[in-house]
Amino acid sequence: MSFLTRRLAPTAVARAHCDLPCGVYDPEQARIEAESVYRIIEKYAANEDPTFRTRAIGIKEHQADLVKHHLDVLWHDYFKPEHLATVPNLHELFWNANKQVSKVKAGTSLDDAKTLLDMIDEVDAAWKATGGNTKTRVAGRPG
Amino acid sequence: MTGPRRFRRSGLRGPWRIAVVEGSMLPAIESGDWLLVDPTTGAWPRRGTAVVFREPGSGELAIKRVAARPGDWVPFTDGYLQLGADEAWLIGDATDEALADAGYGPAVDSRVYGPVPLEALVARAWLRYWPRSRIGRIARLTGNLIERGREGRVPVAPDARPEVPLNEGRPASGVDGA
Repeated sequence: MSFLTRRLAPTAVARAHCDLPCGVYDPEQARIEAESVYRIIEKYAANEDPTFRTRAIGIKEHQADLVKHHLDVLWHDYFKPEHLATVPNLHELFWNANKQVSKVKAGTSLDDAKTLLDMIDEVDAAWKATGGNTKTRVAGRPG
Repeated sequence: MTGPRRFRRSGLRGPWRIAVVEGSMLPAIESGDWLLVDPTTGAWPRRGTAVVFREPGSGELAIKRVAARPGDWVPFTDGYLQLGADEAWLIGDATDEALADAGYGPAVDSRVYGPVPLEALVARAWLRYWPRSRIGRIARLTGNLIERGREGRVPVAPDARPEVPLNEGRPASGVDGA
């Protein structure tokens, strides 16, 4: 049998490729990073020390990148074409939110950071409207 | 219509026997199945035929089904796009629900990486020779394969241009029939 198996064994492997997503999505992840950005801008404005300010800018840049990453994961992995029926402006929402992150990265305006938080709240509403809060967390959203 | 049967001599080197992993071809082909394939296939076979090919991007061997052939119009966003002269649209069999039940995410196929060029074609799936209990030909599927298990429209033959917005909001490059 082992001889036969050896002779007959396949010589290549082909994938019937599927995604293996963890299936855990929550806009809260983006929201927390965006809140960091907001607070850092506040601290930046309240401190004249150049070293502190340089550090603050670096940290803001990093946190803002994380906001973009988490928004993209929601956009590409959580949301599906059928969700457009519930949230017709879905693509515009994410596009604008990502543009807003770029704006926040480029400047130190607290208003811009606040606008970003409001946009993430809109994403959160879309996530809830499509059942995200009941389906994507292991034990529901805490609190 | 019979699909073109162009013989590709370089294919004689194989692969002739392949093992399948993952579940996007359920229920026709299961993870762990051993298949005999025909690597001398030099043209995209008929719609509904399972094919082995190199996945765009990763270059890994993959197996999917021909859902639309060169020149066909494929539903895409709000309109259709026309496949190029050497392109096919390859789709997994399993529905998202079936995949979720089997512990997989959605299939990664042309809906993710777009049309697949002929140069990526490796072989036509022919028959399963293992496990012994399920030995048999890999049957061709008929019907609309474009959006299996999803709300969807059918592909349209090359000579019947659909009366809907074409490639709306998308750049035209790479999707025309030239």
